[in-house]
Amino acid sequence: MSWAAHDLEPYVIQKHLGKKVAFVPLLIGSYAPDLMSKWFVYGVGLAGFELKADNPAQFHRGWPGAGFTHSLTFGVLVGLLIYLVGRNKVVAYSFTIGQWAHALTDMGDTVGSMLFFPFTDHLFAVGAWAYAGQTGRYVDAGAYFSGLGFVWDGIFVVWAILSWRVLTRGYFRETVLAADPFWRWAGRYVSETMLVALYRASFFYGIARWTAWLIWAHVVRSFAFDLRWGGPRWVPRIYARDLNQASAAPACRCPGCCSMRPRLGFYGAVAVLAFAKGRSASVRDLLREAPRPHRPRRRLRRRATVRDEAP
Amino acid sequence: MRPDGSPSSLRDALAAGWRELALYVGAGVVYVAIGVAFPEFLFSWPVAAGYLVTCVVLLPALVRFVRVRTERR
Repeated sequence: MSWAAHDLEPYVIQKHLGKKVAFVPLLIGSYAPDLMSKWFVYGVGLAGFELKADNPAQFHRGWPGAGFTHSLTFGVLVGLLIYLVGRNKVVAYSFTIGQWAHALTDMGDTVGSMLFFPFTDHLFAVGAWAYAGQTGRYVDAGAYFSGLGFVWDGIFVVWAILSWRVLTRGYFRETVLAADPFWRWAGRYVSETMLVALYRASFFYGIARWTAWLIWAHVVRSFAFDLRWGGPRWVPRIYARDLNQASAAPACRCPGCCSMRPRLGFYGAVAVLAFAKGRSASVRDLLREAPRPHRPRRRLRRRATVRDEAP
Repeated sequence: MRPDGSPSSLRDALAAGWRELALYVGAGVVYVAIGVAFPEFLFSWPVAAGYLVTCVVLLPALVRFVRVRTERR
């Protein structure tokens, strides 16, 4: 799970897609998987009773449970449902993009997500940081902000700050308002300053929360940093293979079920090559567009045409 | 101004809205301080959004209102 990435991803996506996405469905899509499951993972007190899943990881990401909310199919289905109700293509696929961003981001921990449910209930995980939702939300926060999870969120903090243009009032008026019907509707009831503040709320929440949890975990409490792959090792963590082996074939060789390191090198090399290829293509385009060095042209002798010769 | 409505440079953006930015940064610093002291405060998005709207919209509006009333008297 991620603590601040889901708040900040929509701004980064907005920066890249501009008027092609509607912000509110994008944000709701980004929150949707956890809105439906996280309260039961950590537990809630209700009239003296505590409601909590017996197996929080299984409930959060697995099947049977609410793990289907973290699948790519769920985003497509809800997107289709939104389209059938509202007949607005942009709103529908914005939700899907937001939900996909959440599902793919959650692959980063040791449990991962059932990306291709219902075709398979297999959990796909990169395993970079420990999944510790079963320990309760405070220990989970401490563990997340002591391992690579906080680094991952930090990347989104930096990326979102670099996307500062999307937070300006002019951008909100020209781009966000034009693409998203929610803001046009809300604008009839509240002032633009209020709308802009609400639009910026998730950015504010993500950055402030990331900072506050980091200070809380390492200044107020003394959780130890452990930036090793799959860390921190001091927290009891759950792996995708534990849940996958409970339901599927035990000899699975996917990255979530077996040691990630050898494959990580391969995937990293592929990513670097793809990135380099993209860069070289863009450099090639730049060179093509650049003005060519001046070469003295030979004067072309004007040919005498039939028209010139005509009286 | 760019076609998407955003300012052409960060300098232009800061020149136009540094007061607003200061308000948001101030609200953020207080939010972080409250959150570190009472982490329960950090769990709720509606609480954060309500807090932000209070700090950057309602309180300044209230201050303006009080200032105008005082000046009239």
